Amino acid sequence: MHFNFITIIARQEWASIFRSKIPLSLFTVLLFVSLLATFTGWQYVSKFNHQQKTAHHQVHDQWMNQPDRHPHRVAHYGYMVFREKSPLSFFDFGLDSYVGNAVFLEAHRQNTVNMSEAGFSNGMLRFGELSMAMVLQLLVPLFIIFIGFQTVAGLKQNGVLKIMLCQRASFLDILIGKTAGITGVVWILFLPLLLLCLIAGNLLIAGGINADALLRIMLLTILYALYFLIITMLVVTVSAMSKSSKNALMALVLIWMLFFIVIPKSAQTLGSSLHTAPDKIAFEQAIEADVSKQGDSHDPDDPHFLQLKAATLKKYGVDSIAALPVNYGALVMQEGETISSGIFNKHFDNLIGIYKSQNAVSSIHGFVDPYLAIRNLSMNLSGTDFDSFTAFQKQTEKYRFEKTKKLNEIHLTQIKYQNDSKQKVSAENWQKQPDFTFRPVPVSENLSAAGLSLAALLLWVAAGIGALTYVSSKRAYQL
Amino acid sequence: MNIHLKVLLLEIRNFLLGNTVLTGAISLLLIGLYSFYHGHHVISRQQQTIASVPAVQKNHLQQIVEHGTGKAAGTTAYYPFFYTTNPASPWAEFSVGQRDVNPFTLKVKMLAIEGQLYDSELTNPLTLLVGNLDASFVFVFLFPLLIIAFTYNALSEEQENGVWKMVRTTAKSIHAAIAGKLLVRLITILGIALLVFAAAVAALRLPVSLPTFKLLSAVMFYVLFWFMVAMMVIALGKSSAFNATALVCIWIFLAILFPGAANILVNNSIPVPEAAETAIRQREGYHAKWDEPIKPTMEKFYAVYPQYRKYPVPDDKYSPGWYYAMQFSGDLESAHSSEKLFDKLMQRQRLSERIGGFNPVIAAQQSLNKIANTDLTSHIRYLQSVKAHHRQIREYFYPFIFEDTPTESIDWAGYPAYEPVRYTDEPVRSGLLAILCWTAGSLVIALILFKRNFIQIKDIQNA
Repeated sequence: MHFNFITIIARQEWASIFRSKIPLSLFTVLLFVSLLATFTGWQYVSKFNHQQKTAHHQVHDQWMNQPDRHPHRVAHYGYMVFREKSPLSFFDFGLDSYVGNAVFLEAHRQNTVNMSEAGFSNGMLRFGELSMAMVLQLLVPLFIIFIGFQTVAGLKQNGVLKIMLCQRASFLDILIGKTAGITGVVWILFLPLLLLCLIAGNLLIAGGINADALLRIMLLTILYALYFLIITMLVVTVSAMSKSSKNALMALVLIWMLFFIVIPKSAQTLGSSLHTAPDKIAFEQAIEADVSKQGDSHDPDDPHFLQLKAATLKKYGVDSIAALPVNYGALVMQEGETISSGIFNKHFDNLIGIYKSQNAVSSIHGFVDPYLAIRNLSMNLSGTDFDSFTAFQKQTEKYRFEKTKKLNEIHLTQIKYQNDSKQKVSAENWQKQPDFTFRPVPVSENLSAAGLSLAALLLWVAAGIGALTYVSSKRAYQL
Repeated sequence: MNIHLKVLLLEIRNFLLGNTVLTGAISLLLIGLYSFYHGHHVISRQQQTIASVPAVQKNHLQQIVEHGTGKAAGTTAYYPFFYTTNPASPWAEFSVGQRDVNPFTLKVKMLAIEGQLYDSELTNPLTLLVGNLDASFVFVFLFPLLIIAFTYNALSEEQENGVWKMVRTTAKSIHAAIAGKLLVRLITILGIALLVFAAAVAALRLPVSLPTFKLLSAVMFYVLFWFMVAMMVIALGKSSAFNATALVCIWIFLAILFPGAANILVNNSIPVPEAAETAIRQREGYHAKWDEPIKPTMEKFYAVYPQYRKYPVPDDKYSPGWYYAMQFSGDLESAHSSEKLFDKLMQRQRLSERIGGFNPVIAAQQSLNKIANTDLTSHIRYLQSVKAHHRQIREYFYPFIFEDTPTESIDWAGYPAYEPVRYTDEPVRSGLLAILCWTAGSLVIALILFKRNFIQIKDIQNA
């Protein structure tokens, strides 16, 4: 390897890209689309979060201003939680539009998170959403293809390659130089733009940047830099293997279609046929069956609850429910809640497990399609991925359970068993309860969840270098 | 032999025996077959679930009655769910549309309805995001790419390798040479489209009826549109690389960027805060009644159902009549925002259709979804039928609740059966017309360009 040759070739490539008109006009279009996507993304996210905050405040005010009520009434009155978008979601919408935005938390029931944007869309959404991540993931590779397809093939056609090879430059030097030149151009055009948009958007949405956000932004920038490098190596490799620039272009456009349309769709549909997930009715039926097996609080002869009764009576040393110092009704209710919540969580974890194995099929395909790898990583770091949504579901269920449990405790201790439904307790009791705050998934967990994709992306870098070396060693490609 | 015919035959041989046609046609057919499998898989799983509903419903009601024996109807009525289903039309397998996003079964209790309408189906969100590889995707997204692959070098390749000059000197009419080349390609493309469509009809067992023909005409018009676009670009007389680049850029613009921007436009110009508002209002509307005097709540109920006035409702303690009247007033108080929500969703639909007029890709997808009854409008029809069913159920059980009938003396399965929404034959004229207009416009431009760049050109110098 001759570093001076590589530098000369890289400089030459850099200069020739900036000299011609087409790359710059394409860049102008992409720049415009990126800025538009960032602007509308920021606007949409801040408007959406504002709407969700308003709804949240309204529900919280209503909760605090309840009159004195029976605690079980309050448990049924329940609470509503509105999901807000993560600060980086303006950059990569990820799954955000396809997951629910509001959940009603009440006693006895685990409701689904409802009202996704996709549910209120008439299908325009399904063409794909315009976000900066989409531009970087789909369109920048196309830009690289258009500026790079003739980089080596063109030299072959006009005979310059042979002249260069005669001047002590090895084919590998030329390929590395070309890769360096094109990557340099792509990095200088897109990475500062990416960094700027991420920081600006984050500042505008979150009002400041904390260490966590900064780390995510840095990681995103590095990963996208690697992704552009991978695509460039691919383009240079294909260009070096092709006899003419036209062939190179055709092959690259074909690869683009495979990588961005065919493989992602087939991988996900394959995943869902390999791992069949239950539908809602089957899911609910299974839970119901398990609950009645373990103990049905509505059934007076249920063995589990008969045992609970005997144990409670023994514990307090009395012989009738009416003589208990606590409200036995509340005790039964909490026992029912504990049983059903435990069973629900078990089934829910199982369901999430199935979804995860479906998604793993896509992640594994990241090894044959670098787009899948960066798509997953980008979603994860932007907090719009599967795990972030699952975390929301789990945290709301935990909050629901604890809220209900506290209300049952109030019921247990402050409401007498006799004439139960006629009594009320002071509203102070539930005004003290903490409000729900979503704890985002930490970066470390995000990264480990996307471990497969990260490995795929790094392997792609290695494979790219390997491919360049291999191609450069073949005489057939030098002619 | 006529020289025209000879040139044409030669072109047919050249084109059809080339690698492009065979590879293109075979890969499209393979993806097509996969797409039929996928569409069938998604929809038949939904249909299986739907088929399981009657048994689930029967068991459920039986259990409820067993538990409720000895109690009054008003106590038992709190528990049962009543299932509704939205069966797929026979064409849904061709175009899955929004059926994977929206729930296709909903169960409702006799309680306030608004909180129960927006329950979502359990689905993997990543699967939703990636979308369906169904037959409509093959036609709307992939077919244009096949057309691009078949046409981008139709004329430029011969210019590039020098054959064109010979064609020009030997062919009597340059018109005929160009027309022949394009005709061969057009017929091949239409033939493949017909073949894939016929395969879809056979594989998905689409009934041979009007909607199938509507699907066919939408697909054919759409294919014609892309052929005209390709003609327009090659008529510019530029190089193969330019043609390919330009056509791929047009495809990306029409199929990705334009719809992406349009989606933002629709969401921004018609936001739906009513969704959350309806849920909040209904919850508050119902729960506040517990702390209010009983009489006004009952009056609201009597205003709609005066026939129940004759039953005594105590005004100082709980009674089932009052309970269901409270639930009902929750719905009354959220009715306004609920109506507004449905109205807004229809506005979204109309705006999107208007935007579709500017983009044949959107118009085609919307038309296919409409024919298959898998679009938002179809889902709204379903939601409205669920609302209507909820009313039927309430009205069936109200007399038992007010009369305090014991649980066991009621026929719990005797409520009016749920009638699923029938197939709605919605007009797709405007969508198809939009595609045709764009097709005709592209054709005219292509002809003008051909005339300028290929016919009138004189070889002044050796270009």
